[in-house]
Amino acid sequence: MQLDPKTLDSLVEEITKQVLATLRDQSSPSAPLPRTKDSSPSCIRFEDKSIQRSPEVMRDSITRLAAPSDIRLTAQDLARYIDHTLLRPDATYAQIAQLCEEARQYRFATVCVNPANVRLCSQLLRGSEVGVCSVVGFPLGATPTKVKCYETQQAISDGATEIDMVINIGALKSKDYDLVKEDIAAVVRTCHNNGAICKVIIEAALLTDDEKIKACQLAKEAGADYVKTSTGFGPGGATLHDVMLMRQTVGPDMGVKAAGGIRTYQDAVAMIKAGATRIGASASVKIMQGTRPES
Amino acid sequence: MSRIASYIDHTLVRVDATPEQIVCLCREACEHRFAAVAVNEVHVHLASRLLRGTGIAVACAIGFPLGGTSTWVKWYEARSALRQGANELDVMIYLGALKGRRYDLVEHDLLAIVRLCHDHGALCKAILECASLDENEKVQACQLAVAAGADFVKTSTGYGPGGATVHDVALLRRTVPPTVGVKAAGGIRTYADAIALIEAGATRLGVSAQASLQILSEERLLMENS
Repeated sequence: MQLDPKTLDSLVEEITKQVLATLRDQSSPSAPLPRTKDSSPSCIRFEDKSIQRSPEVMRDSITRLAAPSDIRLTAQDLARYIDHTLLRPDATYAQIAQLCEEARQYRFATVCVNPANVRLCSQLLRGSEVGVCSVVGFPLGATPTKVKCYETQQAISDGATEIDMVINIGALKSKDYDLVKEDIAAVVRTCHNNGAICKVIIEAALLTDDEKIKACQLAKEAGADYVKTSTGFGPGGATLHDVMLMRQTVGPDMGVKAAGGIRTYQDAVAMIKAGATRIGASASVKIMQGTRPES
Repeated sequence: MSRIASYIDHTLVRVDATPEQIVCLCREACEHRFAAVAVNEVHVHLASRLLRGTGIAVACAIGFPLGGTSTWVKWYEARSALRQGANELDVMIYLGALKGRRYDLVEHDLLAIVRLCHDHGALCKAILECASLDENEKVQACQLAVAAGADFVKTSTGYGPGGATVHDVALLRRTVPPTVGVKAAGGIRTYADAIALIEAGATRLGVSAQASLQILSEERLLMENS
């Protein structure tokens, strides 16, 4: 029997749904599977991957750590905040392999790479607790929604566990908010249906404060897991002001990722104090070398 | 009548470009008879509707500006752009594979898009991002683009570490056969820049919207004074 790809996709989706439903039914009512605001597949993911990656757990640790005025982060704590990033277009396979090796060694949250390198990373990181984060619509955000979704789907099937998508900035500037939100929501749905986390890049350096707030609200309404300051390719990187503004706007229930220009341990800690729950950095190894020896 | 307007791809690929600016871009392209407008994919539909029947092409950037998406994604992106009415695609090559000497991957990546373009009667330009390459890599990249059947080789995205240079354009011109075009792009701001690149062998210039109007007015002034 020949199946066209569409039918096959819908069949696979249906089977996945039923399997997940059965799994939920089997779990005893007194001990339900951890429900997050993500759709159900991510529950499964939390079982076999490190639970530390859940935004809730991250947030708890942040509250705990932020309680005293001076944050004391052990190297291990800090590493779990970091997306170890290499997005240069001329990055070779050898450099990507080194990136993965470093991520394994320091136990970073993820490696963050271009979609073409996702498969290689997920092969190299198999069996480790390091996730693979792929950028989508990057760095201009100027591809149509359909293309972003396809890119997302491909990245996830190549092994991505997290997706950093760029919003349609031109549409935001034109106040076409429905389009911006639908663009985000479509990618978020694709992520959640496939058990991945979705971060939304607003490229804050191009926006006014009002536009930053609006972008964060739209991302939140669209169900995204994180808002993220910058691509690193725009006119500016993460600022404390932007991170605080974004944290204030999205409230405690969403992640905030600070990225772009974070080069030292002090930069990273300052961002975390300002409300960041994830740090995107290419200087991650240098940042880690600045951590105090573990107590 | 401008002599260089027909060389110019009137370009607006800024990340915060609005539909109003695209309308303006297309109007200017009609008025001055540029070769094409070059836009990001979100604006292809609008631009191709506005330019239908004018003879001015719509060029769309694919895998832009990093070339870091997989071949399948570029292909899907390209097909979507062509279906929305793009007549030319400016595709960023897979730079990481070129640097890692995986030439087969670079060629296959490009070949998929070239075939798709030609099936749709569209042109395919391969962007090499010369400022990131050494001389050998530039030559190698040209040869791969020609082998894949690209219609143009193009110097830069405008987002890379550098723009078009006379040296690079001459090198590209020497390397590709006369049937393949050479597009110079990135940092072209004055009439003198444009003429120097054309004399070096460029058959198309990618110029950002403001600069192309500036270049035309410089040309007008020169013609009036001569």
